Amino acid sequence: MNLRSVSDQHAAGERAVLIDNLSLTYITTVEKKPTFRQALTRTGRKTREVNALRHLEVEIPYGSVLGVIGANGAGKSSLMRVIAGIIPPTTGRVEVSGKVSTLLALGVGFNPRLTGRENVILGGLAAGMTRAEIESQFDDIAAFAEIGDAIDSPMKTYSSGMYSRLAFAVSVVVEPDILIIDEALSTGDARFKKKCLERIKALRGDNRAIIIVSHALATVKDICNEVLWLHQGQVKMQGEPDQVIAAYKESLQVAASPAADEDV
Amino acid sequence: MPRLGPYLAQVWRRRAFVAEYSRSELRAQNFGSIFGQLWLILNPLLLALVYFLLIMVIGGTADGRRFAHLTAGLFLFYLVTNSLTAGAKSITSGGKLILNSAFPRLVLPLAATVIAFFKFIPTLVVLAVIAILLAEPISFNLFLLPLVLALSLILSLALALLFATLNVYFRDTKNLLPYLTRAWLYLSPVLYESSALKPALAPLKYLNPLAPFIDSWSGVIVSGSTPTGSHWLLMLSWSIGLLVISGYLFLSREREFALRI
Repeated sequence: MNLRSVSDQHAAGERAVLIDNLSLTYITTVEKKPTFRQALTRTGRKTREVNALRHLEVEIPYGSVLGVIGANGAGKSSLMRVIAGIIPPTTGRVEVSGKVSTLLALGVGFNPRLTGRENVILGGLAAGMTRAEIESQFDDIAAFAEIGDAIDSPMKTYSSGMYSRLAFAVSVVVEPDILIIDEALSTGDARFKKKCLERIKALRGDNRAIIIVSHALATVKDICNEVLWLHQGQVKMQGEPDQVIAAYKESLQVAASPAADEDV
Repeated sequence: MPRLGPYLAQVWRRRAFVAEYSRSELRAQNFGSIFGQLWLILNPLLLALVYFLLIMVIGGTADGRRFAHLTAGLFLFYLVTNSLTAGAKSITSGGKLILNSAFPRLVLPLAATVIAFFKFIPTLVVLAVIAILLAEPISFNLFLLPLVLALSLILSLALALLFATLNVYFRDTKNLLPYLTRAWLYLSPVLYESSALKPALAPLKYLNPLAPFIDSWSGVIVSGSTPTGSHWLLMLSWSIGLLVISGYLFLSREREFALRI
Protein backbone atom coordinates (compact mmCIF):
# COMPACT_ATOMS: atom_id res chain seq x y z
CA MET A 1 0.00 0.00 0.00
CA ASN A 2 1.29 3.42 -0.90
CA LEU A 3 0.81 5.90 1.91
CA ARG A 4 1.26 8.89 -0.38
CA SER A 5 -1.55 7.99 -2.69
CA VAL A 6 -3.86 7.63 0.30
CA SER A 7 -2.72 10.95 1.73
CA ASP A 8 -3.46 12.88 -1.43
CA GLN A 9 -7.17 12.24 -1.07
CA HIS A 10 -7.55 14.51 1.94
CA ALA A 11 -8.20 18.24 1.82
CA ALA A 12 -7.67 20.88 4.48
CA GLY A 13 -10.65 21.22 6.80
CA GLU A 14 -11.92 17.74 6.01
CA ARG A 15 -12.57 15.80 9.19
CA ALA A 16 -9.71 13.52 10.23
CA VAL A 17 -10.87 12.41 13.67
CA LEU A 18 -14.24 12.71 15.33
CA ILE A 19 -14.57 11.87 19.00
CA ASP A 20 -18.17 11.70 20.11
CA ASN A 21 -19.12 11.45 23.78
CA LEU A 22 -16.15 9.22 24.45
CA SER A 23 -15.61 7.69 27.86
CA LEU A 24 -13.01 5.20 28.96
CA THR A 25 -13.21 3.38 32.27
CA TYR A 26 -10.66 1.00 33.67
CA ILE A 27 -11.61 -1.35 36.47
CA THR A 28 -8.66 -2.10 38.67
CA THR A 29 -8.08 -3.67 42.01
CA VAL A 30 -5.98 -1.74 44.45
CA GLU A 31 -3.10 -4.17 44.00
CA LYS A 32 -1.10 -3.60 40.89
CA LYS A 33 -1.03 -7.10 39.48
CA PRO A 34 -3.95 -9.50 39.80
CA THR A 35 -3.14 -12.88 41.36
CA PHE A 36 -4.88 -16.12 42.25
CA ARG A 37 -4.90 -15.34 45.95
CA GLN A 38 -6.74 -12.10 45.37
CA ALA A 39 -9.09 -13.82 42.98
CA LEU A 40 -9.96 -16.27 45.77
CA THR A 41 -10.31 -13.62 48.47
CA ARG A 42 -11.82 -10.88 46.35
CA THR A 43 -15.40 -11.47 47.46
CA GLY A 44 -16.59 -8.24 49.01
CA ARG A 45 -13.33 -6.53 48.14
CA LYS A 46 -13.80 -3.19 46.49
CA THR A 47 -12.51 -2.62 43.01
CA ARG A 48 -11.60 0.85 41.89
CA GLU A 49 -13.08 2.43 38.81
CA VAL A 50 -10.75 4.77 37.02
CA ASN A 51 -12.47 7.19 34.68
CA ALA A 52 -9.55 7.85 32.38
CA LEU A 53 -11.68 9.79 29.88
CA ARG A 54 -15.11 11.32 30.47
CA HIS A 55 -17.55 12.46 27.77
CA LEU A 56 -14.98 13.85 25.39
CA GLU A 57 -16.14 15.75 22.31
CA VAL A 58 -13.28 16.59 19.98
CA GLU A 59 -13.01 17.11 16.25
CA ILE A 60 -9.69 17.24 14.47
CA PRO A 61 -9.64 18.48 10.85
CA TYR A 62 -6.98 17.78 8.27
CA GLY A 63 -4.37 20.48 8.04
CA SER A 64 -4.35 21.06 11.79
CA VAL A 65 -1.65 20.49 14.36
CA LEU A 66 -3.28 19.77 17.69
CA GLY A 67 -1.28 20.01 20.88
CA VAL A 68 -2.57 18.01 23.84
CA ILE A 69 -1.50 19.26 27.24
CA GLY A 70 -2.44 18.47 30.82
CA ALA A 71 -1.03 17.17 34.07
CA ASN A 72 0.26 13.61 34.42
CA GLY A 73 -2.67 11.23 34.55
CA ALA A 74 -5.03 13.62 32.75
CA GLY A 75 -5.77 10.95 30.13
CA LYS A 76 -3.55 12.18 27.30
CA SER A 77 -1.94 8.84 26.48
CA SER A 78 -5.26 7.01 26.92
CA LEU A 79 -6.83 9.36 24.37
CA MET A 80 -4.00 8.70 21.90
CA ARG A 81 -4.43 4.95 22.31
CA VAL A 82 -8.16 5.18 21.70
CA ILE A 83 -7.61 7.24 18.53
CA ALA A 84 -5.02 4.73 17.33
CA GLY A 85 -7.53 1.90 17.87
CA ILE A 86 -5.44 0.18 20.51
CA ILE A 87 -7.93 0.52 23.35
CA PRO A 88 -11.68 0.20 22.72
CA PRO A 89 -13.74 3.05 24.22
CA THR A 90 -16.08 2.09 27.05
CA THR A 91 -18.87 4.28 25.64
CA GLY A 92 -19.13 6.75 22.79
CA ARG A 93 -17.46 6.48 19.45
CA VAL A 94 -14.35 7.43 17.56
CA GLU A 95 -14.38 7.96 13.81
CA VAL A 96 -11.04 8.08 12.06
CA SER A 97 -10.90 8.80 8.34
CA GLY A 98 -7.44 8.12 7.01
CA LYS A 99 -4.46 6.05 7.97
CA VAL A 100 -3.56 6.66 11.58
CA SER A 101 -0.04 5.96 12.81
CA THR A 102 -0.86 2.79 14.67
CA LEU A 103 2.80 2.61 15.49
CA LEU A 104 3.13 5.00 18.36
CA ALA A 105 6.73 5.87 18.88
CA LEU A 106 7.03 3.88 22.07
CA GLY A 107 6.03 0.65 20.35
CA VAL A 108 9.60 0.45 19.17
CA GLY A 109 11.89 -1.34 21.54
CA PHE A 110 9.30 -3.64 23.02
CA ASN A 111 11.85 -6.43 23.14
CA PRO A 112 15.16 -5.18 24.59
CA ARG A 113 16.94 -8.41 23.68
CA LEU A 114 16.47 -7.75 19.98
CA THR A 115 18.47 -5.22 18.00
CA GLY A 116 17.21 -1.79 17.03
CA ARG A 117 16.86 -2.96 13.43
CA GLU A 118 14.82 -6.03 14.43
CA ASN A 119 12.60 -3.94 16.69
CA VAL A 120 11.88 -1.39 13.97
CA ILE A 121 11.05 -4.12 11.45
CA LEU A 122 8.88 -6.01 13.94
CA GLY A 123 7.06 -2.85 15.04
CA GLY A 124 6.28 -2.04 11.42
CA LEU A 125 5.14 -5.55 10.60
CA ALA A 126 2.90 -5.62 13.68
CA ALA A 127 1.37 -2.33 12.57
CA GLY A 128 0.40 -4.04 9.32
CA MET A 129 3.09 -2.67 6.99
CA THR A 130 4.66 -4.98 4.45
CA ARG A 131 8.30 -5.91 4.58
CA ALA A 132 8.94 -4.00 1.34
CA GLU A 133 7.40 -0.82 2.78
CA ILE A 134 9.56 -1.04 5.87
CA GLU A 135 12.73 -1.83 3.98
CA SER A 136 12.20 1.07 1.62
CA GLN A 137 12.04 3.40 4.61
CA PHE A 138 14.52 1.75 6.90
CA ASP A 139 17.57 3.65 5.66
CA ASP A 140 15.76 6.95 6.19
CA ILE A 141 14.85 5.90 9.72
CA ALA A 142 18.40 4.87 10.56
CA ALA A 143 19.79 8.05 9.00
CA PHE A 144 17.36 10.27 10.87
CA ALA A 145 18.05 8.57 14.21
CA GLU A 146 21.83 9.03 13.76
CA ILE A 147 22.75 6.22 16.12
CA GLY A 148 25.29 4.64 13.76
CA ASP A 149 26.26 0.99 14.21
CA ALA A 150 24.18 0.77 17.38
CA ILE A 151 21.20 0.00 15.13
CA ASP A 152 22.49 -3.60 15.07
CA SER A 153 23.06 -3.93 18.84
CA PRO A 154 20.45 -5.27 21.26
CA MET A 155 18.27 -2.41 22.49
CA LYS A 156 19.05 -3.19 26.12
CA THR A 157 22.45 -1.58 25.42
CA TYR A 158 20.85 1.71 24.33
CA SER A 159 20.90 4.91 26.34
CA SER A 160 17.54 6.60 26.82
CA GLY A 161 18.59 9.23 24.29
CA MET A 162 19.37 6.65 21.61
CA TYR A 163 16.11 4.93 22.40
CA SER A 164 13.98 8.01 21.88
CA ARG A 165 15.91 9.03 18.77
CA LEU A 166 15.01 5.74 17.13
CA ALA A 167 11.42 5.93 18.37
CA PHE A 168 10.97 9.42 16.99
CA ALA A 169 12.61 8.53 13.69
CA VAL A 170 10.13 5.69 13.21
CA SER A 171 7.07 7.81 13.91
CA VAL A 172 7.98 10.64 11.54
CA VAL A 173 9.53 8.74 8.65
CA VAL A 174 6.52 6.47 8.19
CA GLU A 175 4.37 9.54 7.23
CA PRO A 176 0.79 8.47 8.03
CA ASP A 177 -2.26 10.68 7.37
CA ILE A 178 -2.83 11.13 11.07
CA LEU A 179 0.43 11.38 12.97
CA ILE A 180 0.44 10.90 16.71
CA ILE A 181 3.55 11.92 18.62
CA ASP A 182 3.28 10.96 22.26
CA GLU A 183 5.98 12.59 24.36
CA ALA A 184 8.70 11.33 22.05
CA LEU A 185 10.49 14.62 22.50
CA SER A 186 11.13 14.05 26.17
CA THR A 187 14.75 13.02 25.88
CA GLY A 188 17.51 13.71 23.44
CA ASP A 189 19.99 16.54 23.18
CA ALA A 190 19.22 20.08 22.03
CA ARG A 191 20.46 19.52 18.50
CA PHE A 192 18.34 16.43 17.93
CA LYS A 193 15.31 18.15 19.44
CA LYS A 194 15.73 21.00 16.99
CA LYS A 195 15.92 18.50 14.16
CA CYS A 196 12.71 16.83 15.38
CA LEU A 197 10.86 20.14 15.50
CA GLU A 198 11.99 21.00 12.00
CA ARG A 199 10.80 17.63 10.83
CA ILE A 200 7.38 18.10 12.43
CA LYS A 201 7.08 21.52 10.82
CA ALA A 202 7.98 20.01 7.46
CA LEU A 203 5.31 17.36 7.93
CA ARG A 204 2.57 19.93 8.55
CA GLY A 205 0.33 20.11 5.56
CA ASP A 206 -3.20 20.20 4.23
CA ASN A 207 -3.42 16.45 3.82
CA ARG A 208 -2.26 15.53 7.28
CA ALA A 209 -3.44 15.91 10.87
CA ILE A 210 -0.81 15.92 13.59
CA ILE A 211 -1.48 15.34 17.26
CA ILE A 212 1.33 16.13 19.67
CA VAL A 213 1.28 15.21 23.33
CA SER A 214 3.86 17.23 25.17
CA HIS A 215 4.73 18.99 28.39
CA ALA A 216 7.03 21.34 26.51
CA LEU A 217 4.68 24.30 26.31
CA ALA A 218 7.00 26.49 24.26
CA THR A 219 7.20 23.80 21.60
CA VAL A 220 3.44 23.36 21.60
CA LYS A 221 2.94 27.11 21.22
CA ASP A 222 5.48 27.16 18.41
CA ILE A 223 4.15 24.42 16.16
CA CYS A 224 0.47 23.86 17.01
CA ASN A 225 -2.47 25.82 15.66
CA GLU A 226 -4.85 24.45 18.24
CA VAL A 227 -4.42 23.18 21.80
CA LEU A 228 -6.53 20.79 23.83
CA TRP A 229 -6.16 20.91 27.59
CA LEU A 230 -7.21 17.71 29.31
CA HIS A 231 -7.92 17.72 33.01
CA GLN A 232 -8.92 14.54 34.87
CA GLY A 233 -10.23 12.94 31.71
CA GLN A 234 -12.28 15.91 30.57
CA VAL A 235 -11.73 18.74 28.11
CA LYS A 236 -10.92 21.72 30.29
CA MET A 237 -10.30 24.05 27.39
CA GLN A 238 -9.74 23.96 23.66
CA GLY A 239 -8.75 26.70 21.26
CA GLU A 240 -6.00 29.15 20.38
CA PRO A 241 -2.60 27.99 21.68
CA ASP A 242 -1.80 31.32 23.39
CA GLN A 243 -5.04 31.41 25.36
CA VAL A 244 -5.16 27.76 26.36
CA ILE A 245 -1.52 27.63 27.38
CA ALA A 246 -1.87 30.84 29.38
CA ALA A 247 -4.87 29.44 31.23
CA TYR A 248 -3.08 26.13 31.80
CA LYS A 249 -0.02 27.87 33.20
CA GLU A 250 -2.19 29.94 35.47
CA SER A 251 -3.84 26.82 36.85
CA LEU A 252 -0.40 25.39 37.54
CA GLN A 253 0.66 28.68 39.13
CA VAL A 254 3.96 28.41 37.37
CA ALA A 255 3.41 31.26 34.97
CA ALA A 256 6.58 32.89 36.11
CA SER A 257 8.68 29.77 36.08
CA PRO A 258 10.78 29.25 32.98
CA ALA A 259 10.81 25.51 33.66
CA ALA A 260 7.41 25.04 32.01
CA ASP A 261 8.70 26.37 28.71
CA GLU A 262 11.65 24.03 28.56
CA ASP A 263 11.49 20.98 26.41
CA VAL A 264 11.20 18.41 29.14
CA MET B 1 -15.78 -11.02 20.16
CA PRO B 2 -14.53 -9.74 16.78
CA ARG B 3 -15.90 -11.14 13.52
CA LEU B 4 -13.85 -14.19 12.70
CA GLY B 5 -13.32 -13.68 8.96
CA PRO B 6 -11.86 -10.15 9.00
CA TYR B 7 -9.91 -11.01 12.16
CA LEU B 8 -8.22 -13.99 10.57
CA ALA B 9 -7.50 -11.87 7.48
CA GLN B 10 -5.72 -9.41 9.78
CA VAL B 11 -3.73 -12.28 11.30
CA TRP B 12 -2.83 -13.52 7.81
CA ARG B 13 -1.58 -10.02 6.95
CA ARG B 14 0.79 -10.29 9.94
CA ARG B 15 2.31 -13.61 8.85
CA ALA B 16 5.62 -11.86 8.10
CA PHE B 17 5.57 -10.52 11.66
CA VAL B 18 5.14 -14.02 13.09
CA ALA B 19 8.01 -15.40 10.98
CA GLU B 20 10.33 -12.48 11.69
CA TYR B 21 9.53 -12.43 15.40
CA SER B 22 10.22 -16.15 15.74
CA ARG B 23 13.52 -15.89 13.88
CA SER B 24 14.73 -12.89 15.89
CA GLU B 25 13.68 -14.49 19.15
CA LEU B 26 15.57 -17.71 18.39
CA ARG B 27 18.65 -15.73 17.40
CA ALA B 28 18.47 -13.69 20.61
CA GLN B 29 18.07 -16.76 22.83
CA ASN B 30 21.47 -18.15 21.89
CA PHE B 31 23.09 -14.78 21.23
CA GLY B 32 26.65 -14.74 22.52
CA SER B 33 26.92 -18.41 23.57
CA ILE B 34 29.88 -20.41 22.23
CA PHE B 35 27.87 -23.09 20.49
CA GLY B 36 25.26 -20.60 19.29
CA GLN B 37 22.54 -22.16 17.16
CA LEU B 38 24.06 -25.62 17.79
CA TRP B 39 22.21 -25.47 21.12
CA LEU B 40 19.01 -26.09 19.20
CA ILE B 41 20.18 -29.68 18.73
CA LEU B 42 22.35 -30.01 21.87
CA ASN B 43 19.50 -29.04 24.23
CA PRO B 44 17.09 -31.86 23.29
CA LEU B 45 19.92 -34.40 23.00
CA LEU B 46 21.27 -33.65 26.49
CA LEU B 47 17.73 -33.67 27.83
CA ALA B 48 17.11 -37.14 26.39
CA LEU B 49 20.39 -38.45 27.82
CA VAL B 50 19.59 -37.14 31.30
CA TYR B 51 16.18 -38.82 31.30
CA PHE B 52 17.69 -42.00 29.89
CA LEU B 53 20.08 -41.96 32.85
CA LEU B 54 17.05 -41.64 35.13
CA ILE B 55 15.16 -44.64 33.72
CA MET B 56 18.38 -46.67 33.63
CA VAL B 57 19.10 -46.03 37.31
CA ILE B 58 15.48 -46.55 38.42
CA GLY B 59 14.46 -49.27 35.99
CA GLY B 60 17.70 -51.22 36.15
CA THR B 61 17.92 -52.03 32.47
CA ALA B 62 17.29 -50.00 29.38
CA ASP B 63 17.68 -50.90 25.74
CA GLY B 64 17.69 -49.04 22.45
CA ARG B 65 13.96 -49.39 22.04
CA ARG B 66 13.29 -47.75 25.39
CA PHE B 67 15.65 -44.94 24.45
CA ALA B 68 13.88 -44.44 21.13
CA HIS B 69 10.47 -44.29 22.83
CA LEU B 70 11.85 -41.88 25.45
CA THR B 71 13.37 -39.48 22.93
CA ALA B 72 10.40 -39.56 20.58
CA GLY B 73 7.97 -38.89 23.43
CA LEU B 74 10.16 -36.32 25.14
CA PHE B 75 10.65 -34.21 22.01
CA LEU B 76 6.94 -34.14 21.24
CA PHE B 77 6.17 -33.35 24.88
CA TYR B 78 8.56 -30.41 24.79
CA LEU B 79 7.06 -29.14 21.55
CA VAL B 80 3.69 -28.82 23.27
CA THR B 81 4.90 -27.51 26.65
CA ASN B 82 7.40 -25.04 25.11
CA SER B 83 4.49 -23.56 23.20
CA LEU B 84 2.37 -23.51 26.37
CA THR B 85 5.06 -21.86 28.51
CA ALA B 86 6.13 -19.26 25.95
CA GLY B 87 2.48 -18.65 25.05
CA ALA B 88 1.63 -17.96 28.69
CA LYS B 89 4.15 -15.09 28.78
CA SER B 90 3.52 -13.86 25.24
CA ILE B 91 0.86 -11.29 26.13
CA THR B 92 2.14 -10.12 29.50
CA SER B 93 5.67 -9.60 28.18
CA GLY B 94 4.49 -7.94 24.97
CA GLY B 95 3.56 -4.87 27.02
CA LYS B 96 4.98 -2.01 24.98
CA LEU B 97 3.96 -3.47 21.67
CA ILE B 98 0.42 -4.12 22.89
CA LEU B 99 0.05 -0.67 24.46
CA ASN B 100 1.31 1.17 21.42
CA SER B 101 0.21 -0.77 18.35
CA ALA B 102 -3.13 -1.95 17.05
CA PHE B 103 -2.86 -5.52 15.78
CA PRO B 104 -4.65 -8.83 16.37
CA ARG B 105 -3.15 -10.09 19.63
CA LEU B 106 -3.44 -13.67 18.43
CA VAL B 107 -0.14 -13.28 16.55
CA LEU B 108 1.82 -13.25 19.84
CA PRO B 109 0.80 -16.72 21.13
CA LEU B 110 0.92 -17.91 17.52
CA ALA B 111 4.58 -16.83 17.39
CA ALA B 112 5.18 -18.78 20.61
CA THR B 113 3.89 -21.92 18.89
CA VAL B 114 6.02 -21.25 15.80
CA ILE B 115 9.13 -20.80 17.97
CA ALA B 116 8.40 -24.10 19.74
CA PHE B 117 8.04 -25.71 16.31
CA PHE B 118 11.36 -24.22 15.10
CA LYS B 119 13.00 -25.70 18.20
CA PHE B 120 11.35 -29.03 17.44
CA ILE B 121 12.58 -29.33 13.85
CA PRO B 122 16.24 -30.18 14.68
CA THR B 123 15.03 -32.99 16.96
CA LEU B 124 13.60 -34.70 13.88
CA VAL B 125 17.19 -35.22 12.75
CA VAL B 126 18.02 -36.88 16.08
CA LEU B 127 14.93 -39.08 15.76
CA ALA B 128 15.84 -40.03 12.19
CA VAL B 129 19.31 -41.14 13.32
CA ILE B 130 17.85 -43.21 16.15
CA ALA B 131 15.31 -44.82 13.81
CA ILE B 132 18.08 -45.77 11.39
CA LEU B 133 20.21 -47.22 14.20
CA LEU B 134 17.24 -49.30 15.37
CA ALA B 135 17.16 -50.71 11.83
CA GLU B 136 13.38 -51.04 11.79
CA PRO B 137 12.11 -51.68 8.27
CA ILE B 138 10.88 -48.46 6.67
CA SER B 139 7.14 -48.49 7.10
CA PHE B 140 4.43 -46.82 5.06
CA ASN B 141 3.16 -45.47 8.37
CA LEU B 142 5.92 -42.85 8.37
CA PHE B 143 3.62 -40.87 6.08
CA LEU B 144 1.21 -40.56 9.02
CA LEU B 145 3.76 -38.65 11.10
CA PRO B 146 3.08 -35.22 9.50
CA LEU B 147 -0.59 -35.69 10.32
CA VAL B 148 0.13 -36.49 13.98
CA LEU B 149 2.50 -33.53 14.06
CA ALA B 150 -0.11 -31.19 12.55
CA LEU B 151 -2.63 -32.17 15.22
CA SER B 152 0.06 -31.69 17.89
CA LEU B 153 0.66 -28.16 16.60
CA ILE B 154 -3.05 -27.38 16.83
CA LEU B 155 -3.00 -28.61 20.44
CA SER B 156 0.12 -26.51 21.08
CA LEU B 157 -1.54 -23.36 19.75
CA ALA B 158 -4.71 -24.05 21.73
CA LEU B 159 -2.71 -24.35 24.97
CA ALA B 160 -0.67 -21.23 24.16
CA LEU B 161 -3.91 -19.25 23.71
CA LEU B 162 -5.47 -20.66 26.87
CA PHE B 163 -2.49 -19.94 29.11
CA ALA B 164 -1.81 -16.54 27.52
CA THR B 165 -5.33 -15.51 28.55
CA LEU B 166 -5.06 -17.09 32.00
CA ASN B 167 -1.78 -15.33 32.71
CA VAL B 168 -3.25 -11.90 31.93
CA TYR B 169 -5.88 -12.35 34.64
CA PHE B 170 -3.88 -14.45 37.12
CA ARG B 171 -0.21 -13.54 37.07
CA ASP B 172 0.51 -16.51 39.36
CA THR B 173 -0.03 -18.84 36.42
CA LYS B 174 3.53 -18.50 35.19
CA ASN B 175 4.86 -19.45 38.63
CA LEU B 176 2.77 -22.60 38.66
CA LEU B 177 3.78 -23.62 35.15
CA PRO B 178 7.10 -25.37 35.92
CA TYR B 179 5.31 -27.66 38.40
CA LEU B 180 2.36 -28.18 36.12
CA THR B 181 4.49 -29.22 33.16
CA ARG B 182 6.71 -31.43 35.33
CA ALA B 183 3.70 -33.26 36.74
CA TRP B 184 2.25 -33.53 33.25
CA LEU B 185 5.47 -35.16 32.04
CA TYR B 186 5.18 -37.86 34.71
CA LEU B 187 1.50 -38.40 33.88
CA SER B 188 2.31 -38.84 30.19
CA PRO B 189 3.65 -42.04 28.61
CA VAL B 190 7.15 -40.68 28.07
CA LEU B 191 9.32 -42.28 30.75
CA TYR B 192 7.16 -45.42 30.51
CA GLU B 193 4.85 -46.91 27.92
CA SER B 194 1.08 -46.61 28.09
CA SER B 195 0.76 -50.39 28.26
CA ALA B 196 2.73 -50.35 31.53
CA LEU B 197 0.08 -48.25 33.33
CA LYS B 198 -1.68 -49.97 36.26
CA PRO B 199 -5.39 -50.63 35.56
CA ALA B 200 -6.34 -48.02 38.15
CA LEU B 201 -4.43 -45.39 36.18
CA ALA B 202 -5.65 -46.52 32.76
CA PRO B 203 -8.19 -43.64 32.40
CA LEU B 204 -5.15 -41.38 31.98
CA LYS B 205 -5.01 -42.61 28.40
CA TYR B 206 -8.23 -40.71 27.73
CA LEU B 207 -8.06 -37.89 30.28
CA ASN B 208 -4.52 -36.80 29.47
CA PRO B 209 -4.73 -34.84 26.20
CA LEU B 210 -1.13 -35.67 25.35
CA ALA B 211 -1.36 -39.46 25.83
CA PRO B 212 -2.80 -40.32 22.38
CA PHE B 213 -0.33 -37.97 20.67
CA ILE B 214 2.74 -39.48 22.34
CA ASP B 215 1.48 -43.05 21.88
CA SER B 216 0.85 -42.52 18.18
CA TRP B 217 4.04 -40.55 17.52
CA SER B 218 6.32 -42.97 19.33
CA GLY B 219 4.44 -46.01 18.00
CA VAL B 220 5.10 -45.06 14.38
CA ILE B 221 8.75 -44.17 14.97
CA VAL B 222 9.77 -47.02 17.27
CA SER B 223 7.75 -49.96 15.95
CA GLY B 224 6.16 -48.70 12.75
CA SER B 225 2.65 -49.32 14.07
CA THR B 226 -0.44 -47.53 12.80
CA PRO B 227 -2.25 -45.28 15.32
CA THR B 228 -5.58 -46.86 16.27
CA GLY B 229 -8.95 -45.39 15.39
CA SER B 230 -9.59 -44.35 18.97
CA HIS B 231 -6.23 -42.58 19.03
CA TRP B 232 -7.17 -40.57 15.94
CA LEU B 233 -10.52 -39.72 17.48
CA LEU B 234 -8.93 -38.64 20.77
CA MET B 235 -6.28 -36.54 19.01
CA LEU B 236 -8.86 -34.83 16.82
CA SER B 237 -11.25 -34.05 19.66
CA TRP B 238 -8.59 -32.82 22.07
CA SER B 239 -6.85 -30.56 19.54
CA ILE B 240 -9.89 -29.13 17.76
CA GLY B 241 -12.00 -29.00 20.92
CA LEU B 242 -9.37 -27.14 22.92
CA LEU B 243 -8.65 -24.77 20.03
CA VAL B 244 -12.32 -23.79 19.76
CA ILE B 245 -12.65 -23.23 23.50
CA SER B 246 -9.40 -21.36 24.07
CA GLY B 247 -9.72 -19.48 20.78
CA TYR B 248 -13.13 -18.20 21.86
CA LEU B 249 -11.78 -17.30 25.30
CA PHE B 250 -8.81 -15.41 23.85
CA LEU B 251 -10.70 -13.54 21.12
CA SER B 252 -13.53 -12.49 23.41
CA ARG B 253 -11.03 -11.09 25.92
CA GLU B 254 -8.26 -9.67 23.79
CA ARG B 255 -9.68 -6.16 23.53
CA GLU B 256 -9.27 -5.93 27.29
CA PHE B 257 -5.61 -6.97 27.29
CA ALA B 258 -4.27 -3.45 26.69
CA LEU B 259 -6.17 -2.28 29.77
CA ARG B 260 -4.75 -5.00 32.01
CA ILE B 261 -1.07 -5.02 31.25
